[in-house]
Amino acid sequence: MSSQHPLWQNLFRHKEDRTSEVTDMWMTTPLFDKISRRECRDLVKTMHPRHYKKGEIVFNSGDIGASIVLIRSGGIEIKAAEKLLAELMVGDFFGEVALIIDEPRTADAITCEDSELIFFLRSDLEEWVKRSPKSGAQFMLNIASVLAARLRHTNILLSLQNS
Amino acid sequence: MIQSLVQHPLSRTLFIFCMITTVIALLAILLAPLLIPIIISFALYAVLEPISEIFERNGLSRNASSLSVLLILVAIGGLCASLLLPHLSSQLSSLQSQLPIVWQTITAMGNDISQHIISSLGLEMQSSGLTQHFFSKANDWGKTALIEGSNMIISLSILLVLVPIFTFFLIRDFRNFRNSLLDKLPNSSFEMGWLIYYRVARQLQEYIRGIMIQSGIMSIVTTIGFYAIGLDSPFLLGLVAGVLNLIPYVGPLLAMVLPILLALGQTPVELWMVGAAISVILIAQLIDNVIVIPSVIANAVNLHPLVVIVGIIVFGNLFGFIGMVIAIPVISTMNIIYYGLYKGIKTRYDLKLNSKPVT
Repeated sequence: MSSQHPLWQNLFRHKEDRTSEVTDMWMTTPLFDKISRRECRDLVKTMHPRHYKKGEIVFNSGDIGASIVLIRSGGIEIKAAEKLLAELMVGDFFGEVALIIDEPRTADAITCEDSELIFFLRSDLEEWVKRSPKSGAQFMLNIASVLAARLRHTNILLSLQNS
Repeated sequence: MIQSLVQHPLSRTLFIFCMITTVIALLAILLAPLLIPIIISFALYAVLEPISEIFERNGLSRNASSLSVLLILVAIGGLCASLLLPHLSSQLSSLQSQLPIVWQTITAMGNDISQHIISSLGLEMQSSGLTQHFFSKANDWGKTALIEGSNMIISLSILLVLVPIFTFFLIRDFRNFRNSLLDKLPNSSFEMGWLIYYRVARQLQEYIRGIMIQSGIMSIVTTIGFYAIGLDSPFLLGLVAGVLNLIPYVGPLLAMVLPILLALGQTPVELWMVGAAISVILIAQLIDNVIVIPSVIANAVNLHPLVVIVGIIVFGNLFGFIGMVIAIPVISTMNIIYYGLYKGIKTRYDLKLNSKPVT
């Protein structure tokens, strides 16, 4: 009876839709390459959605970082020393360094419109790695690939600047 | 001047820290009658939550997995009680029957010593007065112990009912409650809040698991030791030593009292038995310090010994035995919260200071 009640239906459908949508978004990123959708969906349930107004600071360079962030709606500007480094849109993620090391953030992140951001905390990742070591190891390989690609990109930029 | 003082990271940290401590203290005062079952339930939650997670991963709902864990807890508790309680009660009654003999032996020894002191100092005192005083005191202690014993039975029955219920609800709902509470933090403090929470939770979980294992090992080692030297009620004495070991530094000293009294109660008094009882505790402590602590709870807390001793005395004075047991985890939690807050607030303050335009 309760499952037929419109109130219950709406309550659960809303949450289910959000979980499915966020799972789809993560699955299109290189971070969840070769990881099952079911595992990703279970992980999404532990993530934390937050709402930000336009121009609100998500984090500053030097802040304590503890999570990677996925943009569900809105947009983000990544800046360092007042210089714009990147403009991120729906489906993009940022702050992945904080997922690996307990070090301060290296850039500023500011919303350029009202945004909904999904935070995936390092502590949740650590618990997941303990629970599912195989998928956890794959995720770590994926994140290493992402970081290596970024490092390579930065090196190319630096060499171009020098030459 | 006042504005810079208010905005200074140290004063801001202290203000927030005092607010958090006040809320926790108020909650502790309000929940004082339920504090013991709540603490035990949280300890069990720390141990049983991973089992519930395994059930959930295998397709059980949150309700079903929590209920399964509760059933396992009740089954293990019932099994332990049916196996250990008859043994424990027989040892308790034998201890009860022995206590008057112990008192008599100790009183006789006390009389001998006091007579010896009086005669060697050449004082004229009525030794019967001393003995009478001692007996009336012992009588008072006995009455108090009886009243406290009956109160303990009532508290134990309440515990047996409340602890499984609290543990069930903690396993089922604590995660949702925690998420909804921490998600209420403002965006600017969200990550810092979670970071502090996880550090506290991990340290407490490690500490609780560690001291449970440590207490069990100490119980087994001392039981074997007391049995080997032929002391009465070895199982009961081992259990008491294991429980008292939950209190750092002070616990092992308290654990020596009962075995020494029992060894003194032997007729005729055998001094080697007293030495052997002390040796058992000391050997158990050696095993604890050399093997158990480094491998089980080395990284769980990192507090100065003086802080630990003062904390135990203050908490023991405020909340009794349970206060002595919770002193270390509470102080360690406060330590993490304070330094986590200070680090976060100071980073923000430094950033603001550096970004201010030079005028």
